[in-house]
Amino acid sequence: MGQEKGYLALVLHAHLPFIKHPEYPDFLEEDWFYEAMVETYLPLLNVFENLTAEGVDFRLTMSVTPPLCNMMSDPLLISRFQHYLNQRVELSEKEIERTKGTEFAAVAQMYYDKFRRFKHLFENVYHCHVLEGFKKFQDMGKLEIITCGATHGYLPLMVHKESVNAQVKIAANDYRLRFGKSPRGIWLGECAYNPGDDKFLRDEGIRFYFMESHGVLHGTPRPKYGIYAPVYCPQTGVAAFARDMESAQQVWSAESGYPGDARYREFYRDLGYDLDYDYIKPYLHSDGVRRNIGMKYCKITGKVPLNQKAAYNPQEAREIAAEHAGNFMFNRQKQIEYLSTLMDRKPLVVSMYDAELYGHWWYEGIEFLEFLFKKIHYDQTDIKLITPMEYLEMYPTNQTVQPSMSSWGDKGYHDVWLNSGNDWIYRHLIKAAERMTEYANRFPNADGLLKRTLNQMARELVLMQSSDWAFLVTTGTAKEYSTKRTKDHIKRFNELYEQVKHNRIDEGYVYNLETRDSIFQQIDYNVYSSAAKDKVLNQYK
Amino acid sequence: MEKNLSSAAFHQVRPTVPEELGDIPSGYGTTESYLLPKDPAWLFLFWEITQETFDYVRGQYGQEVLNQSRSVIRLHDVTGVEYFDGTNSHAFYDMNVIFDAGSWYIHAPQAGHSYVADLGFITPQGQFILLTRSNQMTLPPGRVSDVVDDKWMCVEGDFIKLLQLSGADRIGIGASELMQVVDQRWKLTEIAGAGLAPSSATSSWSSFALHTVPAPVPQEDEDIWLQADCEIIVYGSASANAFVTINGKEIQLQNGKFSLRQALPAGAVLDLPIAASNKSGTKTRQVHIKASREQGK
Repeated sequence: MGQEKGYLALVLHAHLPFIKHPEYPDFLEEDWFYEAMVETYLPLLNVFENLTAEGVDFRLTMSVTPPLCNMMSDPLLISRFQHYLNQRVELSEKEIERTKGTEFAAVAQMYYDKFRRFKHLFENVYHCHVLEGFKKFQDMGKLEIITCGATHGYLPLMVHKESVNAQVKIAANDYRLRFGKSPRGIWLGECAYNPGDDKFLRDEGIRFYFMESHGVLHGTPRPKYGIYAPVYCPQTGVAAFARDMESAQQVWSAESGYPGDARYREFYRDLGYDLDYDYIKPYLHSDGVRRNIGMKYCKITGKVPLNQKAAYNPQEAREIAAEHAGNFMFNRQKQIEYLSTLMDRKPLVVSMYDAELYGHWWYEGIEFLEFLFKKIHYDQTDIKLITPMEYLEMYPTNQTVQPSMSSWGDKGYHDVWLNSGNDWIYRHLIKAAERMTEYANRFPNADGLLKRTLNQMARELVLMQSSDWAFLVTTGTAKEYSTKRTKDHIKRFNELYEQVKHNRIDEGYVYNLETRDSIFQQIDYNVYSSAAKDKVLNQYK
Repeated sequence: MEKNLSSAAFHQVRPTVPEELGDIPSGYGTTESYLLPKDPAWLFLFWEITQETFDYVRGQYGQEVLNQSRSVIRLHDVTGVEYFDGTNSHAFYDMNVIFDAGSWYIHAPQAGHSYVADLGFITPQGQFILLTRSNQMTLPPGRVSDVVDDKWMCVEGDFIKLLQLSGADRIGIGASELMQVVDQRWKLTEIAGAGLAPSSATSSWSSFALHTVPAPVPQEDEDIWLQADCEIIVYGSASANAFVTINGKEIQLQNGKFSLRQALPAGAVLDLPIAASNKSGTKTRQVHIKASREQGK
């Protein structure tokens, strides 16, 4: 322990639902992944590369969820992403010519430089496999990669605990495949925790997870340090780390958050709409409809209509990002200094954010993080960045508290994922989970086509359990797509169930689904057996 | 089932199109019910009761008795009960229900307690006829625990400061703001155009969700019926020492929470000013809720 007064754990949650449509030449919702790659994941890796080259020590905890790992490793999505990236390099090169001598020359140059840099990283450094990059920094001890439920499943709404066990086990197995070791931490989808689910985490050797602040605050007994130290779950000793609201709001407050600064990039003004149709058409989807392409030349400017936005100045925006990073660090220093006067140990502030909000939504958020890491390293000694495991090694004795059921959604519980707009889903999710366990119990040693069919049923089940679908129905955006995805997986699961039941498996159908819903190539339906669940729970009897 | 094609044959199999499978089923042909948690004050119950189950009960008790019986959800408080046998709950609460609704949101009397929901009939003689029993569900406490750990005692004042810094009074607020941002993230993609499958979301889920009675498969000239009504529930929480009134009438707080259920007939306007004050009356807080229902046909 050094002279620092306390610790800051930065946690980014990187996740997208599994979206892959080989049946179409291009598919709109697949763009979510390509955009996140070029705006968040590759830029983050670029920051890690820069910091390492400069000798700046940093610590970051980051989930890379199993669906994301599967997409990052999927040959079809990789080749489509490469096409997406190449198109951006090509367009940004043309743009340098077109904008020469105009007020947009600097921003056009910025895109060209960035796209070329990301292309180099992607192809030459990571060999088209970005997980290589994440693994590299984990192996260096800078980055703690944590897992998530297999498909970001919403655990408190799973009444059959076999499903909870399967979400955790499938995820942990996938993690071992990708990163060559077992996960030490997990991000529960939507931070949704149900007391006792930690038993399934413990069984996979998972030592810690994250919660919304009231998950710990409403725990029993009262947590002595509030949310500024982890607590251990009774019986399992799995550590719960709670989210600090002050640092969360500082970044994301609708009124006073950093991303609203007038000099930052305006999201809504996009070249996909601004440029001549014939010029931009090759960079749109095959349907030729104008859409965002991810290149934006204006700054927020102020409360003016979209057509009155001023030109973006990359240098100016960068300086503001540095200023905001300094402000964020200053506030953490003050916060931690004050907390340390109330506690008989060094306090820990856990700042948790959706990763995609950095870069994708708040374009300069990536630079903000880079400046923050550098400033913490060079400019002060009050606070230190830390990972949850490092903290637990420093303070192995923690209070035992049973955390409360909670989530990080609106109102703090399950309203977002269970309301009159999406509650119809659960009848089917719960039935499918029950049926999966029925077959896992009945066919413990299936092989051949039956085994493939049962494994595909398990894939359809985890895919329908993604909390993203219920979320998107509630927000009302992408509602059609998420409703269709939910129903498709329900229908496919039920069809496979009937085919097995009536002994008439259609191999062509199974093959088709294996190709489309191809997540978790190594899945083993036996994780759904009651015996697998009982093996975990019987340890606590 | 046992047939196992070689990999060579496997690649020759022509993929069938999986989308031609019709809509998802409305039920699965089994009598059962499930209880899910929504928040410290609310549960969601959904169920399916088959014709066979109704026929069986009719055979046992006779149509006449069922006609005179009430259809109810009986919510049992089974907190700390090791094995619930249908009779050993601490308390139970009955609420009228239309079985055809298929699901219902239930206001739980006590946060932090465990519940089981039975669906059944209450005969005029008061006998309960069980149709289906749900799983057990424990709700979160929704507040800071009174239990203090001897080994981890601290100065009360410091704890309260830490509690405030931890954001005890801001729960869900930050999360909600974050939600708006996340929401916008998706909206951006949406602005750029809707997803494929433009007309595939055929049925209107909202009608499902409003608990209207699903129409039976139409047969020519068959008469149909429909009944529906509306109640509203006003609920909230206040400081444990606050004096709370709704429409001028005092309402008792339970663990700092209150709720009021009131019928909302067609054409009615409900005006419900809610006020809280401290003992001395020097501090007051007010929320005004208005609800109206149009005169339906």
